[in-house]
Formats: sequence, structure tokens, C-alpha cells
Amino acid sequence: MIEVVDVWYRYPEGSVALRGVSLQIERGEFIAIMGENGAGKTTLIKHFNGLLKPQRGEVFVDGINTKESSIAELSKKVGVVFQNPDHQLFSSTVEEEIMFSLNNLNIDADEARRRMEWVLKLLDLERYRKRSPFSLSGGEKKRLALATILCMKPKVLVLDEPTMGQDFEQKMKLAELLQNLVRKGTTVVVVTHDVEFAAMYFPRVVLMARGRIIADGVPEDVLTNDEILRRASLIPPQATKIAWEVSRELEDFPRKIIRVKELYEAVISLVR
Amino acid sequence: MAIIEIRNLTFTYAGSDEPAIRDISLNIEEGEFVLIMGRSGCGKTTLCRCLNGLIPHFYRGEMKGDVIINGLNTRKHTVAEIAQIVGMVFQEPENQLVTMSVEKELAFGPENLGIPPDEIRERVERVIKLMNLENIRDRAPYELSGGEQQKVAIASVLTLEPKILVLDEPTSSLDPASATKILEIIANLNRLYGITVVLIEHRPELVMRYVTKIIIMDKGRIIMEGNPREVFSHGTFEELGIEAPVPVRLFHMLRKRGLGKMNIVPITEDEATRLILGLVG
Amino acid sequence: MAIEMFRGFEFKRRDTLIHRLDPRTKLIMSLSILVSSLIFDKIIPLLLVFLISFALISISKSVTEWYKSIKGLSVLFLIILIVNSFAYSLSFAIAMCIRLVNFVTAFSLFFLTTHPDDLAHALISLRIPFEIAFAFSMATRYVPTLAREAQIIAEAQMSRGLELQKGGFLQRVRNLIPLIVPLVICSIKRALSVAESLESRCFGAVKKRTYLHELKFGLWDFLMSFAFLGLVIWSAVTTFLVGYPRVFTLELPI
Repeated sequence: MIEVVDVWYRYPEGSVALRGVSLQIERGEFIAIMGENGAGKTTLIKHFNGLLKPQRGEVFVDGINTKESSIAELSKKVGVVFQNPDHQLFSSTVEEEIMFSLNNLNIDADEARRRMEWVLKLLDLERYRKRSPFSLSGGEKKRLALATILCMKPKVLVLDEPTMGQDFEQKMKLAELLQNLVRKGTTVVVVTHDVEFAAMYFPRVVLMARGRIIADGVPEDVLTNDEILRRASLIPPQATKIAWEVSRELEDFPRKIIRVKELYEAVISLVR
Repeated sequence: MAIIEIRNLTFTYAGSDEPAIRDISLNIEEGEFVLIMGRSGCGKTTLCRCLNGLIPHFYRGEMKGDVIINGLNTRKHTVAEIAQIVGMVFQEPENQLVTMSVEKELAFGPENLGIPPDEIRERVERVIKLMNLENIRDRAPYELSGGEQQKVAIASVLTLEPKILVLDEPTSSLDPASATKILEIIANLNRLYGITVVLIEHRPELVMRYVTKIIIMDKGRIIMEGNPREVFSHGTFEELGIEAPVPVRLFHMLRKRGLGKMNIVPITEDEATRLILGLVG
Repeated sequence: MAIEMFRGFEFKRRDTLIHRLDPRTKLIMSLSILVSSLIFDKIIPLLLVFLISFALISISKSVTEWYKSIKGLSVLFLIILIVNSFAYSLSFAIAMCIRLVNFVTAFSLFFLTTHPDDLAHALISLRIPFEIAFAFSMATRYVPTLAREAQIIAEAQMSRGLELQKGGFLQRVRNLIPLIVPLVICSIKRALSVAESLESRCFGAVKKRTYLHELKFGLWDFLMSFAFLGLVIWSAVTTFLVGYPRVFTLELPI
């Protein structure tokens, strides 16, 4: 679905943000991209919808080279939801806000209407449809921002730090929604600092540090590799830290544990 | 005498028909480390704003009840007076840095109070040393990383020499490594310098070992209050939008399974390790 | 390019004689350059003022930044040169260009070497109320933040399919609404949150505020201030009272 081939990118001020990044994302994958601030995560996802074009290397989206397409064209395929919903909400009602994205697509009025109803329902925003986006709570605004992208029915959905400032409940609801989209064939890429969130829900985790991808695999491997985590300035999940501590005393205790459930199961099996 | 005393506090923002916090009574002793938890919109931030007089002086609305800080009633004293007892640190570091150098940022509060330059210099130097800011003292805010910015924001209220620090999600816009550093700094200020800390934090596992009191809020009320072991012995509070630390969740799963003559809830990773070794070994 | 030009006016931290001067001295120097360049209208005396101000720019090690702003205005120079040489004479046109260079140099000299906080400080010592002076320095403080925010907003809206360059003039103006509204809302929110933080740090608590760095008018400040005030007086006296010495009136043969 997305193919990044040896991409380099340097900002005009001189800092090199990407140093030869290659990445393959298949249709229907659910991926977390992690790493500290300045590791190049945001720069990388801006290449997915053409906001940035590689200075060296190539990015293909659904077979199209991003250098040969426009942001407007690419954004029909790749929807990017930015961190802060305040950076994009501007209309006087929730409905108009969603319509703005739909109008940029040049689809007919009936289809636009259908998609709006679908997305309002999906994100539980129906009762706010005539309200001003600015009167919504933080969590609701985040959902609306997601709606304005989802209504464009992108094949790939990219979210930048969607869990920032969100409470546990909101995070769980978001994860559920994303999992549903993945099940229906959407490819979902999430940039996140939240290691517990990544451990809990994602089948594939990509770690970045200093403009390079330093690990790519299942979270059970990536998030339990002490050396790599340190290079990415990440802290292992709590369950992992406990498992490591226990295994120091108890050699056969599993070390590749990332979720509390697995920790529980490991304990149970040993108690028996 | 409690350093923070809240009596039957209810506050409704002007233009809202529902109170943001309802009938809150709370005592906090000097030197405590208080953690406030609860889902978004439960009233945590509003409660913090009451602690240095931003409510009722800066935010308008209807306030019932009293907040007494170190003997001062916040209704009768200005924010500037209370700010010398309660230092406030907010979520967005960028919005708390208003000058063009770290040194000037630290001097800003004392300058506003008209403190003589010699004493300001002394305070600034002391805090620069305490917070280890020597190598960035001349930098402008936009030359600092998010973590450094938040460190400077904390330092800039420390020059007011407060007895209490109130921090409203100070790490939520930082990456994990910077967040860890900020939480360590906060824990040290409490442990080594006896500063009373009131902290709102969604992911508090790093400071859990220092927390003396947890307050769980929901819909503007305090639902639960007590030391962490006491509070978390009642459950994980997922239904209140709280992400309980993994040791706590593990404990409750094991207890459900009948594996627990254990009465003491582990709240840190070390304690969880000992619990597991105790069960298995 | 426009942004590059403003770089020429952005404070750069350096340790030079000029940087160490009291901001009030620098204000006097820059204003003196401005005023005497306005009074003179011949090539030679304007060139003299230029040499003096360029010397100051070199002492402050800011030639690169200064050159950027001059380069940014090159189109304007060309226009002035062409229009004036047709309307008046080439000599006059050149004189006007030097005058503009002097203006830019005066501004660069002040803004490149004066810390924005000192600028506010200087304004206060000139009896401008602290609140107003502070608002001024806050504005400069948040320029980079605002620029970054505007960039993010543009990217967020483009990701929703907005094409800024699409359509006729009216459509293009309308395309700006999705950028301007969020920028305004974010700025208001930011202002509120900055105000909250200011309040929590005793902003405006007492009438007589103190300063960590008291402004000190040293020997160099006196010397420079007198010298530059002298420049203004001299330019006024030669122009309006005694008349230019002969060399000043030299013009190009065409």
C-alpha cells in the first residue's frame, strides 16, 4: 500500500530529519510508529500524503510515486489526522466542518450526504451536528477532526499522537474504532509516544531514532529489546519491566511479556 | 494545621449551568505528594485553579465555600500574594515562557514583586543551580526542547519560593524520556526540599512510590481519597477513566482468581516483582 | 524570500562593543542615522553617514545578516533608481538609494544587536508603561511560534484536500478562511493560557517593578550618544545654516 524506498530529507534550516528510511506497509496493516521527539516520525508521515516530497529516494502510495502527484490527489488515498484538532476546525457547525472535506473531493451531493451521516454515526457525533465545533470538549474535537478525514474514505489512515492528553477510556474507544476500520480493510498508521497503548493494540511496531528506522516487528520483540529501546529513548511497558525483574530471580520466567494479561497468565501457570 | 484546606467548595464557571466541581472538602498537609486522577472533564483542572486563587480572581463564576492556603483565604488575597505560596505549572511549556532568555524567565516573577535586584540575582542563581540550568541560561525559549522548556517553567515559579507546587499535566506534551526527567525533578523537589506537590498526571507510575495521597474525581466530586495502597485496594477504577498502574491491575486479576491472602496492593514495579516471587517461589 | 529579509532584523546573540551598549544608546544611534540621512540629500554626505553606520555593523559582526536584508530589498532599490533617474537625475537617484540603505542599516543596527527584552526595558526607561512595553516584547517573542502554527494549520487543511492555489482571485481569498480562523482561535487560546501563567507569576503585582539587569549608562554610552547627537546637529547646521562644503555638492557628470 505504501512503499518508502531509501528516503532522505533535510529541512531548509539544515537539520537532517530522515536518513535513508525504507518501509513497506501492506493493505490492512495496523502499525505504530514510535520514537522520541525529533526522531523523524512526523517528517516520515508527511511523506505519505505528499506534504513533503523525498529529496532522495522514493515514496509510492498505492503504486503512485508521490513526486508525480499533488497533495490534493494523494489526500484522497492517505488521510492524515493531525495532533491538535484546533489546527483545523474552522466551520460554524459540525456538519459544515465535515462537508468542507467532502466538497474538496468533488463527489455528488447524495454521496456526500451519505458519507456525512455514516461518519457522524461512526464517531458518535450525531447529537452535535448543529453545534459549533468550538463548543465541543477536547475528546469530541479529536473525534470530529478524525471524522473530517474519515469521510474522505482514505485507504490509509494516519494519526499523529491521537492519545495525547486523552484519558484511559478515550484511548480504549479510539483503539476499538481503529481496530474496526482495520478489519474492514483500511490501513492504519499511528504515531505515538504511548508505549502501553502500542503494546496493547498494535501487531506491528516501527521504532525510529535520529532519522532512521532502528527496529520493525511484532511488539513482543521490539518493545522487549532493551538495547533498541534505549537507543530510541523509550521506556519498556510496565509489564515488561516487571517480567524482567522476576526473571532475574526465576530463570524460566518469560521475558517477552508486554501486557498485564500475559504477566498474569505467566504467574498463574507457574503457581500451578 | 493543614497547608491546604478546602471547605465545601463548589464552583460554576460564568456561562455554564452546571458546577465544574461540587462540594469539595479536602485537607493537604505540608510535605505531602498528592496525585489527582480522573477522566477528562472531571474537574481536576478546576480544582487546581482554585488552589492559587486563579479561581475566583481570574476565572469568573459562582464560588461557594472557602479555600485556605497556609492560613490565607483565597477570596481575600490576590493571585500575586498566593502565588508566593503556591507555584503553578501548566500543560503547555511554550505558553509559560514569556521572555527571551532562561535567566530572565527565572527573574520574571520576583521582578513583578519589586524585589531588590541583588536578591533576585541570588534567587535566580540558586534555582539555576538547583535545577541544573547552567548550560542553557542564555537560551531563548524556541532554542529549547519541550522537556527543557517545561523544566524552565518549573524553575520560573521556584524563584517565587513557593511552599506548594501545583502541576496540571506537566508532561502531557512531552516524549517519554523528557516526561520521566520532569517527573523525577518533581519527586526530588518533594523529597529533598519538602515542597508540597499537587500533581495531575495520566501516567503516574514513575512517581507512584512517592505519592502520599491519591484523589480520584468524577463529575466534579471527590470519589475516593487516601494513600495509594488504600485507594487501589478497592479496585482499578477503569470505569472512572483511570489507567491504574500495571502492578495494581495484576493484583486485582490475581485476587479475583483467589490468589491472594495478599492484602497489600503493590503500586510499584519492585513491589509487583516481590509479590510474584512470593507467589511462585 | 520575504522571511529571509526579516532575518536581517532578528536579534543575534553576540559579544561585541555594540551589543554591550545600553539599548537607549543604540536607540539614539539608530535615530541619529535616520535623521541625518533624512536631512542630507546629496551623495557624498549620505555616503559618509553610510560609512559610519556600516562601520558599526562590522564592529557588531552582523554584516551577513545586514546584507540579507539589503538583498531582500534589491527590487525596491531598482525601482527607486529607475524612477528617480527619469524624474530627476541619476545623482539624485543614487543619493535616494543610499538614503534607503542608511534607513535599513539603522534598523538592522538596532534590532540585530538589541535583545528584545532589553528593547522593552529601554522603552520603559523612556517612561512608556511596563504593560505596553511588555506587550511589545511578547509580540516579538511569539512570532516564531505563530509562524510554526500557521505552517501546521496549512498542512492540516491541505491534508483535507484544500488547494490554496486553486481558482480565481476571489476563490483564493476564500481559500484562506480555513487557515485564518484556526490561527485566530489558536492565538486567542494561547493568549488566555499565557495570561493565566502571567497571573500565576505575579504579573502587575506592584507599581514599581524591579529588574534583574539594571540598565547602566557607561562611558561608551556617553561617548556614542554625544557623537551621534553631534552627527545630527552637524548635518542640520551644514544643510540649513552654513551650507554644504564644496566636496559635498559633487555630482555625477550626467
